[in-house]
Amino acid sequence: MIDLKRISKWVNVGGKPNFILKDINLQINEGEFVSIMGPSGSGKSSLLNIIGMLDDASEGEYYFLSQAVHTLKEKQRSQLYKQYIGFVFQAYHLIDELTVYENIETPLIYQNIKGSERQAMVADILDRFQIVGKKDLFPTQLSGGQQQLVGIARALIGKPKLLLADEPTGNLNSRQGEEIMDLFKQLNNEGVTIIQVTHSEKNAGYGSRIINLLDGRIDNN
Amino acid sequence: MFKNYFKIAWRNLQKNKLYTFVNITGLTVGIVSCILIGLYVSEELSYDKFHDKADRIARVTMQYTDGTTINRAALTGTKVGPQFRRTFPAITAFARTVQYSPVVSVGDKTFNETHFLYADSAFFSIFTFPLLKGNPATVLAAPNQVVLTETMAKKYFGESDPIGKTLKVNNGKDYTITGIARDAPENSQIRFNFVASFSSMRVSREEIWWTANYVTYLLLPHPQDLTPLQRQITAYMQTDPVRYETGAGAKLTYFLEPLTWVHLHSTLDGLEPNGNITYIYILSAVAVLILLIACVNYTNLATAQAQGRTGEISIRKVLGAGKGQLFRQYLGESLMLTVIALLLAVFISIQLLPLFNQIANKSLSSASLLQPLPILSLLLLGLLVSLLAGAYPALVLSNIRLMSILRSGFRLSSSGGNLRKSLIVLQFVISVFLMISTMVILQQLSFIQNKKLGYDKDHVLVLPASEEIHEKYDAVKAAIRQVPQVINTGGASGTPTYVEWTDGLSATTETGQKNFTVKAIPCDADFVKTLGMQIIAGSNFNAADMHMLDTTDNNKNFRYTFILNESAVKALGWTPQQAIGKTVEKYYPGIVRAVVKDFHFSSMHEAIGPLILFQDTQWVSRMYIKVSGKDLPGTIARLQSIWKEYAPHYPFEYHFLDEDYNTLYKTETRTGELFGVFSLTAILLACLGLFALAAYTTAQRTKEIGIRKVLGASLASLVGMLSKDFLRLVAIASLIALPMSWWAMNRWLQGFVYHITLSWWMFATVILLALFIALATVSFQAIRAGLANPVKSLRSE
Repeated sequence: MIDLKRISKWVNVGGKPNFILKDINLQINEGEFVSIMGPSGSGKSSLLNIIGMLDDASEGEYYFLSQAVHTLKEKQRSQLYKQYIGFVFQAYHLIDELTVYENIETPLIYQNIKGSERQAMVADILDRFQIVGKKDLFPTQLSGGQQQLVGIARALIGKPKLLLADEPTGNLNSRQGEEIMDLFKQLNNEGVTIIQVTHSEKNAGYGSRIINLLDGRIDNN
Repeated sequence: MFKNYFKIAWRNLQKNKLYTFVNITGLTVGIVSCILIGLYVSEELSYDKFHDKADRIARVTMQYTDGTTINRAALTGTKVGPQFRRTFPAITAFARTVQYSPVVSVGDKTFNETHFLYADSAFFSIFTFPLLKGNPATVLAAPNQVVLTETMAKKYFGESDPIGKTLKVNNGKDYTITGIARDAPENSQIRFNFVASFSSMRVSREEIWWTANYVTYLLLPHPQDLTPLQRQITAYMQTDPVRYETGAGAKLTYFLEPLTWVHLHSTLDGLEPNGNITYIYILSAVAVLILLIACVNYTNLATAQAQGRTGEISIRKVLGAGKGQLFRQYLGESLMLTVIALLLAVFISIQLLPLFNQIANKSLSSASLLQPLPILSLLLLGLLVSLLAGAYPALVLSNIRLMSILRSGFRLSSSGGNLRKSLIVLQFVISVFLMISTMVILQQLSFIQNKKLGYDKDHVLVLPASEEIHEKYDAVKAAIRQVPQVINTGGASGTPTYVEWTDGLSATTETGQKNFTVKAIPCDADFVKTLGMQIIAGSNFNAADMHMLDTTDNNKNFRYTFILNESAVKALGWTPQQAIGKTVEKYYPGIVRAVVKDFHFSSMHEAIGPLILFQDTQWVSRMYIKVSGKDLPGTIARLQSIWKEYAPHYPFEYHFLDEDYNTLYKTETRTGELFGVFSLTAILLACLGLFALAAYTTAQRTKEIGIRKVLGASLASLVGMLSKDFLRLVAIASLIALPMSWWAMNRWLQGFVYHITLSWWMFATVILLALFIALATVSFQAIRAGLANPVKSLRSE
């Protein structure tokens, strides 16, 4: 599903390149549950952003479902990730001005899905995550765990093939964290490919594979 | 999708109350200014366009010269209409008009009326003043026929049909009512309550070039006939027979003005005072400028606020929003704000209309706003405003790089900051310019108000002198003098505030024959003293001199007595002392009794010219009564009973002389008031924007302020730091506005012969005021930030 070839990313500091990622080669197959680990500043999030097409690599090739992402224009790329990728963030990143229902609905709007269909899909996922009762609340009225649940529901509403999660439990207590990880496991069993960035060995243990990053390089597989 | 856009727009508006308040207030005020000025301007522009033949009608103006001065007036003698019609085939019809303010009575109903028009029979076929009753071709065909307006018909006859009935004018002639006309519209240079046939007047029996009291209108077959006709008229007036007829010494010629051009472009008032195209331009510009300030507020606040919205935008992008979708969303927000402001503005405008009418001296109605065309233009205006104000912020917001969200401490690039700064400068250039202009206009108005006129216009009552008064002139004056609070009384024709009587003066002096045009005031012996005019040589008129006006033996021994003003004496080449006892001629010869110090007898736009006062009470149209000012109601009641006794057939009406004076500067006063209102609006809007912007900037720098405080910065230094940037912008704006307003105001003042000189302190005052207002606005935020507990701001990071 994902094929990264010699991916590097650098920023120029005082005229000299400062490598964030260096020479990354990585294949991830459909149905995998991959955890990216490493100390702060090792490039975990940058790697995830490149996979999620939110950021460009400075060098190297990236194939997603056999499409050469590095050659695509921004519009086509946005078309691609809109359709196949869902994002979950550490800080949830819900839109404060929208209710739970509307937050979940927003990606569908951008995919030009009709109103009646949207309604059905959102109702479905609210039901599944057992947050029907909270659909008219605003994010600030929810606990962290509930917010993250909404974040995940929003990421899944478009039925993505790939779920990218950047420290999804980072802001949660351990009980809430466990619930989220159980949910991820369950989703993976249903066939969703998951890539998560995490600090916690325990959370990484939920996955089928761990990638360790150190100073922008893959340490071992 | 739109529902979603509007939902979030609405919630954003609710969340950011200050932002919403500033923007809606700003846009509303801007649009209100536009609506009111728009109504005013469109009414002025619509003048006289309602006539079906508007483009084929021309007004005739007269120009004559005595060799030294050129005189122009929108008036003609009785000959122009008929003679031109006979001479030039390009004239299909003509109408001479003149208007009076007579006393009209029907039965026992007697009123002082204005706008009593006399007009030739073609009047109703040239102009489109629809008749409700009567035939336009015949209503004015014979002498002593009159057409009433609907309002007048109701006033005198109630519900009964007035056709065929009669009304009495000035307690004399009876006029038969032949028609009812719809009331003349406000946007017309001809307004009337009555139109009587021109042939009713004795003067209509004779055709003369001079004695120009009549406004003549001509109807042409085609609009393009005007230019060739003008050439023909100029040539015709040069021909020998005409020159012989009009007098060899004087050059007399006529010009044609297209009817629809008159109101805004002609310098010559006709039946009604004209407007001024310059003021139309200025007002339109002011409306646009105020709207611009409101738009700038929106743009500035929206881009400043973008900082706080990067999160939302980035999330939307991650969720798949395209640039176009984001752009539309944010444009939608500005559209929503504009629509709210637009609705509010329409409501407020309708509420403000009566007040605006009072200031602008108009009678605009909200009905004229609720027409398809104004509504359409309002919608267009709304669209324009939301694009103007919203496009740039929408562009900035939709172009924020996606990665921004994932980095903390992200700040928008400073290029938006530069734009904001330029826009603030623009706002304050406009505000300071308007403030300086207001200041200068008000200064000039107070200069006019307080200028020593050369006579005393205060505490002078003005009463009408009808022929009944003339009959017992001395008895009336004696009776007036009996009233305790009366200091003196005298009579004259017209008003000393604006002398209209034009005459010719000639004299044989040591340096040869002198011959020139003068303004003249016929008056009685006490007029000069009553108004406190200063005699610098000779002595005042003597009532006994009246016997010299000897009309026996064909005026052979008729002698005037004159008082000249300084300018007239100078024009004759004499000193005041030399002039006394000399003989000069104003058609008839007379002796110069005295020389009066120059006084202002026309508006400050014109220099004081030569003037002659001559004693002749038969022309007295107004009595001037100098009172002490104590017990005015009692004094007026006493005067009223005198008038009841001596002029029982005329209504008693009085006013004060300074009211006459003030009407001379109506346009200027109005301009001053309008400028005052709009410059206040502009500066308030600009400050409102500055206030909100300062709030955002300060909020952004909370952390910096916290750190500085911890490091020991004083409140004063923090306020200085936060205010400095804004004050610099206002200072730059002032420097730009300074030469602009100096130039503009200098030009405006050039229109007055007597005017103040621009001096540095006017500009300095306004600039200091602007700086002070800006400082007060900004430092409010700065002080609040400076007083906040630094621990709070640092912890939240």
